[in-house]
Amino acid sequence: MSAVVATGLGKRYGRVWALRDCSLEIPEGRVAALVGPNGAGKTTLLHLATGLLEPSAGSISVLGRRPDRDPSVLPLIGFMAQEVPLYRTFTAGDMLEFGRRMNPRWDEGFARKRLERVGIRPNDRVGHLSGGQRSQVALTLALAKRPSVLLLDEPLASLDPLARREFLKALMEGVAEDGATVVLSSHLISDLERVCDYLILLSASRTQVAGEVEQLLETHRVISGPRKDGAVPAGVAAVIEQSSSERQTTMLVRTEGPILDPAWSVQKVGLEELVLGYLGQPNATALPGPRLAPIRMEVS
Amino acid sequence: MEEEARVIQFRLDPRSGVSTYLQLVHQVRNALRLGMLRPGDQLPTVKEVVGSLAINPNTVLKAYRELEHEGLVEGRPGMGTFVLRTLKGPSPDKHAALKRSLDRWLQSAFEAGFDVEAVVALFETTLRAVREEGVA
Amino acid sequence: MTWLAWRQHRMQLLFGAAFLALMLAFLLPTGLGIASTYRSSGLASCLSTAGRDCGELSDSFIGRYSRMQFLIPLFLVLPAIVGMFWGAPLVARETEHGTHRLAWTQSVTRSKWLNVKLLALVAATLAGIGSVAWVLSWWSRPLVAASDDRFNPGIFDIRGVVPVAYALFALALGVAAGTLIRRTVPAMAATFTGFGGVRLAVALLLRPHYAAPRSTSFALFGRGVGTGQGDWILSTKTVDAAGRFVTSGEGLDLNYVSRHCPGVNPSPGSFPSKDALTACVRKLGLHVQATYQPGSRYWRFQFIETGIFVALAAGLLLLAAWWVRRRVS
Repeated sequence: MSAVVATGLGKRYGRVWALRDCSLEIPEGRVAALVGPNGAGKTTLLHLATGLLEPSAGSISVLGRRPDRDPSVLPLIGFMAQEVPLYRTFTAGDMLEFGRRMNPRWDEGFARKRLERVGIRPNDRVGHLSGGQRSQVALTLALAKRPSVLLLDEPLASLDPLARREFLKALMEGVAEDGATVVLSSHLISDLERVCDYLILLSASRTQVAGEVEQLLETHRVISGPRKDGAVPAGVAAVIEQSSSERQTTMLVRTEGPILDPAWSVQKVGLEELVLGYLGQPNATALPGPRLAPIRMEVS
Repeated sequence: MEEEARVIQFRLDPRSGVSTYLQLVHQVRNALRLGMLRPGDQLPTVKEVVGSLAINPNTVLKAYRELEHEGLVEGRPGMGTFVLRTLKGPSPDKHAALKRSLDRWLQSAFEAGFDVEAVVALFETTLRAVREEGVA
Repeated sequence: MTWLAWRQHRMQLLFGAAFLALMLAFLLPTGLGIASTYRSSGLASCLSTAGRDCGELSDSFIGRYSRMQFLIPLFLVLPAIVGMFWGAPLVARETEHGTHRLAWTQSVTRSKWLNVKLLALVAATLAGIGSVAWVLSWWSRPLVAASDDRFNPGIFDIRGVVPVAYALFALALGVAAGTLIRRTVPAMAATFTGFGGVRLAVALLLRPHYAAPRSTSFALFGRGVGTGQGDWILSTKTVDAAGRFVTSGEGLDLNYVSRHCPGVNPSPGSFPSKDALTACVRKLGLHVQATYQPGSRYWRFQFIETGIFVALAAGLLLLAAWWVRRRVS
């Protein structure tokens, strides 16, 4: 089953579309990176997935249910909003109590141990904690409810490198234990490269790229060869980005087969390079082909 | 802080161009070759590995599956992943033979006009390509 | 959810309880003092004896407690305070800090979140304002008996059942304002001005017409309509025998009198004698026409106004609930 399915999803504020024509399908168990420049619609997409927003067009379902209409899916989704909102006057212990009271499935032991490991005492006031510590508290809240889907909006944004690493460690441990599906948004792809196996690239409020990281890296190459305008070796399905000097052309391409032309040198591309290439070319897309919805036979 | 004493600690080189799961596979194979890992030893759990490296658990699972496929380790449900057999390093005669052919190769490379840098570059590129194709 | 409601609102509720305790600590002993003075000064027996003029006794009794007049503006404003400090922050504080994105993504629906909090605040308002209004009504009974003004605007608003309705309305207005405006301080300002505006509009424009006012006339300088009946005088004017307008209010227009009763004023600049005035008044047939609401309607008006504000409160709460569920992100 897919953890998150969006079909033509859109959200409009007045006449401005914050998100438009967004279609994607995140398989269960994946750690998905949601990447894009500011204002691309990442937060809007995540808010639609948690039921904080209602779609203006299309639909989104999480674990087969509509999050804004079906409250039964709320206990299965763990969410961390941007800027990590917590009750500043609460203590860390109060925040755990909050989690316990507001969620039917709550692992109190896990939550306490987690906070202990990162050095947060139950009496520490949330308002006095550092940014990294607050993120850890919020992550604990999200993980301890044992969700099937974890949605994190820019969780690494205001963290120093050490805090970022600690956060990702904690997150991956949680995933290893429960097999939750994770969607992490960030504009720092380098942070996410180590943990993500699925990539969603949003640009100008539309989905530009959506697919398994392994598959994307397999089907994209950086090739350089002699500059012959318009010429492209066999095996290239689409040119994403190119730059030329007088004699030489370098291109980021999507392949549909091996490129064997000896005149061209072919190199693998890193995830960051791939993302930057697509961001620079808003009209280029790498989306999975249309899939037929499975036909369910109802036996009455 | 409690830390399980494991016989192997993994390291990740994000710039090596080698995919993560292969790096893990290679580190286990090296440990086996050097005798640091012995049959019966338990490999770190997926949770421990991701907790120290901050990588995707599926990557670790893939690496352990690869090692299992090679017959080097065995996963026991509910208990962990355990080493099955060792890997022999190269024998002394193989070592000497390889050294001799390397000497000869270097000679011909220098005679062909390669400088040290070019030799190193060629070696590294070829090595990377071979490792990327996997151990099979 | 009840734990969260208590944890987030405990300071508000404790402040409310402290204020209530303070008020009771003030009102109970002073109220007993007023009641005992009421009896010992003889005013109680005077007022219960028909036909006696208790004016002097009343005036001196009321005069003793003129320092307590601060209670009137205090209790007029009290419902607005509830609205501003309990109602406005309810949703606004969460949206202002983004914590609604934390609260509404746990496993509790937004509706339950809002309903439990509202239930707590409404119950506290009913209990708190209800007891304060009840005690204040008891406390002021002798004073109101002496000045016969329980139906008058100002006094009507702080006694009986209407204060509870005002407080519920202010609370609902605060919640709705906070939900729509989404920031606490502007919502508090909107609540205060909105409350004031609606209260004034209802008291000045609607209340006089809950039932058709009655008219009556009485002699000038006489005892006035229904003294001791607790009537609410809406308007008075002085007219001549033919009903022509002389002056508004219960009084004399000296220019008019001089014109129509020549010789009443012996020398310009001096005041005519009482006998001369009385004779002139009788000659011209000057009397007062008044429209009023009889005192017997007091409780009917209390319940009508309570109904209006409770209905407004209910409407505002439904609006807020709908807005929270469907529109806030």
